[in-house]
Amino acid sequence: MKRRQFMGASVAALAAAAVGTPALAESKGKIYYMVPTLLDEFQTESVSAIEKFLKDVGYEPVTLNADNKTDLQQSQMNDTILLQPKAIVLAAVDFNAIQPSIEKARAAGIPVMIFDRQITSTMCDFTSVAGTVEIGYVAAGEAQRLLTERKGGVKGKILQVLGDPADPYTLDIQKGFEEKMKPFPDVQIISLPAMQWEASNAGTIVADQIVANPDIDLIFNHAAHLSVAAVAALEAKGKKPGEVMMMSSNGAPVGLDLIRKGWLNVEVEQPLYAQAAAIAMFADKVVNKQEIKPGTYNVLGLESNLAIEAWGPNLKIPGAAITKDNVDEPRFWGNLKAPADPVKSVE
Amino acid sequence: MTMTSLSQRSIANFVLDHLVWFMLVAVLIAFSIFIPKFAQIGIYANIIEQSTFVGVMAVGLAIIIISGHMDLSVESVAALSAMVTGILFCSHGIGLGFSTKPEWLVVPISLLLSLLVGGALGLLNGFFTVRLKMNAFIVTLASYIWVRGLVVALSGGRSAQDLSPSLRWLGIETILHVPLIAWIAILVFALFTFILVMTPFGRHITMIGGNPIATFRAGIKVDRLLIWAFVIAGAIAGLAGWLLAIRTSGATANLGTGMLFNAFAAVVIGGVSLKGGVGKLPGVYAGVLLLSSIHTAINLMGLPAHYTQVILGLLVLAAVLLDTVKHSIRQRFT
Repeated sequence: MKRRQFMGASVAALAAAAVGTPALAESKGKIYYMVPTLLDEFQTESVSAIEKFLKDVGYEPVTLNADNKTDLQQSQMNDTILLQPKAIVLAAVDFNAIQPSIEKARAAGIPVMIFDRQITSTMCDFTSVAGTVEIGYVAAGEAQRLLTERKGGVKGKILQVLGDPADPYTLDIQKGFEEKMKPFPDVQIISLPAMQWEASNAGTIVADQIVANPDIDLIFNHAAHLSVAAVAALEAKGKKPGEVMMMSSNGAPVGLDLIRKGWLNVEVEQPLYAQAAAIAMFADKVVNKQEIKPGTYNVLGLESNLAIEAWGPNLKIPGAAITKDNVDEPRFWGNLKAPADPVKSVE
Repeated sequence: MTMTSLSQRSIANFVLDHLVWFMLVAVLIAFSIFIPKFAQIGIYANIIEQSTFVGVMAVGLAIIIISGHMDLSVESVAALSAMVTGILFCSHGIGLGFSTKPEWLVVPISLLLSLLVGGALGLLNGFFTVRLKMNAFIVTLASYIWVRGLVVALSGGRSAQDLSPSLRWLGIETILHVPLIAWIAILVFALFTFILVMTPFGRHITMIGGNPIATFRAGIKVDRLLIWAFVIAGAIAGLAGWLLAIRTSGATANLGTGMLFNAFAAVVIGGVSLKGGVGKLPGVYAGVLLLSSIHTAINLMGLPAHYTQVILGLLVLAAVLLDTVKHSIRQRFT
């Protein structure tokens, strides 16, 4: 009897759920988001943001995690193509290796939108990026400012702690940073990679270098979670906040906390919310294969430039330097205050 | 047999038994001479500090390998222990910021929790391997995967930071320039060296690794001892995670990634036979120090980190080759 009551209640609950979910009933279809990993806070928050914004514009998001494995992401792409979704949002593990999968998806009539990790080697239907090389540029500008403020000129020694050397993301930041620092011959840059983006590897690098090169003026970590271990290493060497200048990139919550405590001078943020919102704003146009016009678009209050590049429509959203003066502004994703207002599709 | 040949044999045996220590000394001398800024107390202290986590992890791994089994889960178990410590005792990120009164109680409580987390997972590995007769390689490979998944699920991919100062001081305070956490690792090596050499448990574990059937026939409770070995290896991995959280002042979802292979390399370089029944922990510690010295040298030389892996791989190969050569050299002197 009890079992029958339970079954009845379950059926009623399922029926109620089916009736009570108009969003699903009105869904414009599924869009798959291929997230490269869930082992860092940027990617984790990108899932929440993209899913929220895609729902705002009527799509049903599905996320697949590639666990930082190129072959796994390729398999996921192949499987997803067979499911014929409305579109695929891709943040690539490996920019080059995934190219054939993008081409295969597009040949099957499934548009591919690129999120965060730029791919220029093949045509894509839409790209929303801050530009990893540009993050390096912003970081270089801030490094120049910090060195000038402390030393009266752009001179000194910088320790650059990269992420995993097999990750093009970190190599692009390095490229941008070193390109803009090149005109300053009085700056010595020591670059070392933290294998697998693992925090204690960054701590080890900082611990060794601060002993071997006690005159290091500035440490630039390519991710905020590396800064946490770097700070722990400095603390263990008896350093106080601000004694060695430090900056990092991606704008994660841990980085913002370190700014508040005085350990970190600058965090170069990737505008995660705006990048994710742009995907949703242009989703209808991409899915319906409508023309996307170049020009300036306002994405969550950020003036962003859309250009038609050789690889397709490319929206570049400016990154920002976070310092003690602006660290509490809710627009920074590191404060984890995702915009509550729904985004709207562009006309 | 003449006196000369006797002394030659004992010298040869001594050198072969402690080969990894001789290699370590040779490497340290070479690095100190040829790498600028290497020869200083701070760098030597760094090498000892950096050996802490892989070293502690390698102790548990070595015990399991000496017992004739395998434990691939130690890295993920350490990560889970670090994450549990981070979540409970960090005040930022996903940290809940629990505190105790008096404050020092946080040290034994967090340590006990880490040991329990590790020990429980070790018990699970031991149960499947010993009681259900499943292959230890597969059981612990599964644990390696699902426990890391649990770390990601628990953290939601976010990190815990700002560990309680009552714990952090262990990573900051030093004795003879060496941080307390590194002294803890040295104590762990000393304690388990004593256990393996001087106690019936240790001797029986080595016997089991050499010949489990003969050990069983000698009346020794092989299954029970093996389960204990897995529990101890898990608890030691938990301890490694606790130390890692203290060193990095928190935990990230990918903390400790790649340490398993370093621990394996240290165990092999340290002279532990993968066939079981052979191995001494001091050699493993020398292996860990050797690897840390090479990592540090590569850091100071500014070589791309890819070289670390190349050198590491070649070193493991060389260690196995040396092990093979050792037998023929020994035979020549006997």
